[in-house]
Amino acid sequence: MIERILLLILFLVGFSGILIKKNIVKKIIGLNILNSAVVMFFIVEGRTVGERSPILDPGVSNVVDPVPQALMLTAIVIGVCITALALALAFRLYKAAGSFDIDTIKASLHD
Amino acid sequence: MKGDRLLRTLRILITMAAVAAVAAPVFLSRTPWPSTARDYLERAGVADSGAINLVSAIYLGYRAFDTLGETIVLLVAVSGTISILSRSGASLAPGFGSVAADNASFSLPQDKPTTHTLRTHLIEVVTGKLGPVVLLFGFYLMLYGHLSPGGGFQGGVVIASGIVFIAIGSRRDASTWLTKASALNKIESLGFLLLMSAALSGVFAGKGVLGNPLDGPLFGKAAFIIVLNIVIGLKVGSGIGFMCIAMLGRHRS
Amino acid sequence: MMVILLLALIVVLAVFSLASKDLLHSVIALSAISLLSTLLFYILRAPDVAITEAAVGAGVTTVIFVWALRNTDRMDRDR
Repeated sequence: MIERILLLILFLVGFSGILIKKNIVKKIIGLNILNSAVVMFFIVEGRTVGERSPILDPGVSNVVDPVPQALMLTAIVIGVCITALALALAFRLYKAAGSFDIDTIKASLHD
Repeated sequence: MKGDRLLRTLRILITMAAVAAVAAPVFLSRTPWPSTARDYLERAGVADSGAINLVSAIYLGYRAFDTLGETIVLLVAVSGTISILSRSGASLAPGFGSVAADNASFSLPQDKPTTHTLRTHLIEVVTGKLGPVVLLFGFYLMLYGHLSPGGGFQGGVVIASGIVFIAIGSRRDASTWLTKASALNKIESLGFLLLMSAALSGVFAGKGVLGNPLDGPLFGKAAFIIVLNIVIGLKVGSGIGFMCIAMLGRHRS
Repeated sequence: MMVILLLALIVVLAVFSLASKDLLHSVIALSAISLLSTLLFYILRAPDVAITEAAVGAGVTTVIFVWALRNTDRMDRDR
């Protein structure tokens, strides 16, 4: 139970990073933390149904649920794709407006 | 000014309370995780797909469309990132951006001339000598994905790390074709083409898209999983390697 | 027990990463979060996810972030 509470706290920390911080790179870091929290939550939940890792060598039974692990593989790779594109866009905004701060960017794009 | 800050704090608090109220029942729920999937896969996973590694059996057998979609997302992300960056005056590695960006960025004043070498002795020993070992490990992970932890994605990203190691740590006059833009481009396109052909080959064998056409007395079911692993590994490795080497920029030694 | 310890350490690192003024320190903290979650995935019997997270989080993500910081601002001018 404590693990789930800590994961909820991590989720809220990541989300508050996106909400509160004014620097775009900090927002992207918050997005990354949010992604990690959700991935960890699925793996923790999948662990509760078994004992051994899901590789069926002869004589192995009572394995951990392999479905969340397969889904989280995809989620991790897509997370890094999102981070790469987001940083490319942030770089483009920096070249256009001169700063990573969203207030400055908003002001300079309104002209 | 004070009222603005108060309003902003209030908005942030209300939003965080709403998100916490929505996320808390999901994270803290007491219903146990159902074990139906695990029971079925323990019984029939190896017989259905031929792979001992159940995670490989899932993302290459039962849910192979997810894998197809993921490779498409990776392709779009890498090409989108490189195209955004090469048009915005970033100093990418020579040959990795567009030709116009290469010609234009030679005259940009913000190319700071670095006086220190990129390649210190520490980097040369650690990355230059360790690069081929990491590449070999990546190939091992890619090929043995159906028997032990590993597979297409895992091997692919380790191969990408190996390619980046070789690009960082090699000597100036030592040239390998593996870190050139044209080679990585060709490997990635070839990998995607082979993935499409492997996906459609199941149709011609009568088993549906991404079905297993090699199921017979000659090969056994795991051969198709090995083929898919190799193709996905090549594609992911060369795609991410291309993006990372492009971002490493120009070497000044 | 190890799981709870690792998760608490990850939460502390996440708060530091978002609160630091130097963006390079934030990126290194993000890479440390990725390393600790790799260990966590291995303890939770998920070796495939651990390999992917190790190679992707500590490798590719850090390279992309460091590149983005190198060509632009390194300090968070907001604070």
